[in-house]
Amino acid sequence: MREDNSQGSPVPPSVSEARLESVLETAVDGIVVMDDRARIILFNKACETLFGFSAEEVRGQNVKLLMPSDYAQAHDGYVRHYLDTGEKRIIGIGREVRGRHRDGTEFPLELSVGEAATPEGRQFIGILRDLRQRKVVERRLAEVQGQLVSMTRISALDELGAAIAHELNQPLTAIMLYLQAAKRKVSDDHPDGKLVEIVDKGVREAERASNIIQRMRRFVEKRDPERRQVDIAQLVHECLELVTLGTDCSGIDITNSVADGLPPISVDPVQVQQILINLVRNALEAVRNTPVKRVGMSAAVLGDDMFIRITDSGGGVPAEVVPTLFSAFSSVKKGGLGLGLTISRSIAQNHGGDLAVEPNGGEGGAAFVLRLPLGRPAQNGASADTVPTMKGPTA
Amino acid sequence: MIIHIVEDDPGVGDSLGLLLDQIGHKSIIYPDAESFFESKPPRQEDTVIVDLGLPGVSGMQLIRWLDSMKRPPKVIAITGQSSRAIADLFGTNIPAILLRKPLTEEALVAHL
Repeated sequence: MREDNSQGSPVPPSVSEARLESVLETAVDGIVVMDDRARIILFNKACETLFGFSAEEVRGQNVKLLMPSDYAQAHDGYVRHYLDTGEKRIIGIGREVRGRHRDGTEFPLELSVGEAATPEGRQFIGILRDLRQRKVVERRLAEVQGQLVSMTRISALDELGAAIAHELNQPLTAIMLYLQAAKRKVSDDHPDGKLVEIVDKGVREAERASNIIQRMRRFVEKRDPERRQVDIAQLVHECLELVTLGTDCSGIDITNSVADGLPPISVDPVQVQQILINLVRNALEAVRNTPVKRVGMSAAVLGDDMFIRITDSGGGVPAEVVPTLFSAFSSVKKGGLGLGLTISRSIAQNHGGDLAVEPNGGEGGAAFVLRLPLGRPAQNGASADTVPTMKGPTA
Repeated sequence: MIIHIVEDDPGVGDSLGLLLDQIGHKSIIYPDAESFFESKPPRQEDTVIVDLGLPGVSGMQLIRWLDSMKRPPKVIAITGQSSRAIADLFGTNIPAILLRKPLTEEALVAHL
């Protein structure tokens, strides 16, 4: 109330008609005002763009005009229900609805409705936000997450095969050597034909098991790394995007200090991305329950190699875990097979690089260092661009 | 002649030592290249069996070091890697004698 206003104006100042007009016309969201019989009183510029009707065309018409038929049929009932009972179903709440363009196409809208008592009776103000852009983003998010899930599944299968092959090969080697030593000892000390025969059979069975492993390994390792010149900054950026989409990272300070303009590396981007995603996920997991939640990524060139460092503030790797950290099935994590680091290291080694851990090298936690050789595209021979010469009937 | 075995897997190292012992060779087992360096250097008539997948100083680095000795011993590399992985790792720089795991007595004896 401004009764004491020195200028003595009897009416409190209100937003002028002209100013209201300009607010309505500049609003990004669509604004529609209707009376208590659902007739359109006001239709702003954003609405014209949204629905393809001009304000003149729709003035006085029922707002059903802007709705797909299923909504339109029910709308009169909604309005009557509210006017009869006062029960609010949308007013002051807002919800996602579908709108209908003049050309018949339907599109998602966020609608919030307000109410005003005016001298001309009750009026309802609808504010409409176009959700199509947001829908596109949401769909893209879902796609990327789906890709991440299937990528994780495929690599888990490969991991399993490769890890079993590698881990079984060592004890099997030992078994075969022990048996061969036993056979020698038996034939030297007790020339017992039967015993020699038994040990012989043992050796043959161990060889059979080893052949199975070799076949399995060939199957798993069938996929060659498809090397390309890769920009590490971009690769790291994509990895962070993928991981943060698929994981809850709230409260975690993720710092990417990988600079642009580093020399390219010649690697299989999908495989290296698997390593980085795995490492970043581990780092995020490590800081999940720590007071300081920091994860950092950096990259540097040293000699002929690129070193990519993933650090975390998660308390580090316990000394007793370090020796078996990269072995399969040694994970201390619940619900994991502990294959992530095993396969990550084997991918790195297949690229001529390596993966190492600094148990206390991070920001109060662990640091994993991925080493990858820099690209040498001029190298002869082992280039992915080599024209295949296989012709005719091949297996 | 002494056969030096540099192999991080205890089972593989021990069984290899036992077999060589049965064949009549004296062998010493080292779990990694670092402990091998701490011992007396091998003589020319010795043989060094090196696993390529060693932790720390790699098997390949150890082999290069051995090859650079004035009077280098014989070197036998062993590995559990597939031949493709070996080609990827070392290119044309493959050790002269390279045996795949699981090892057989015949393959080993042929090089001793």
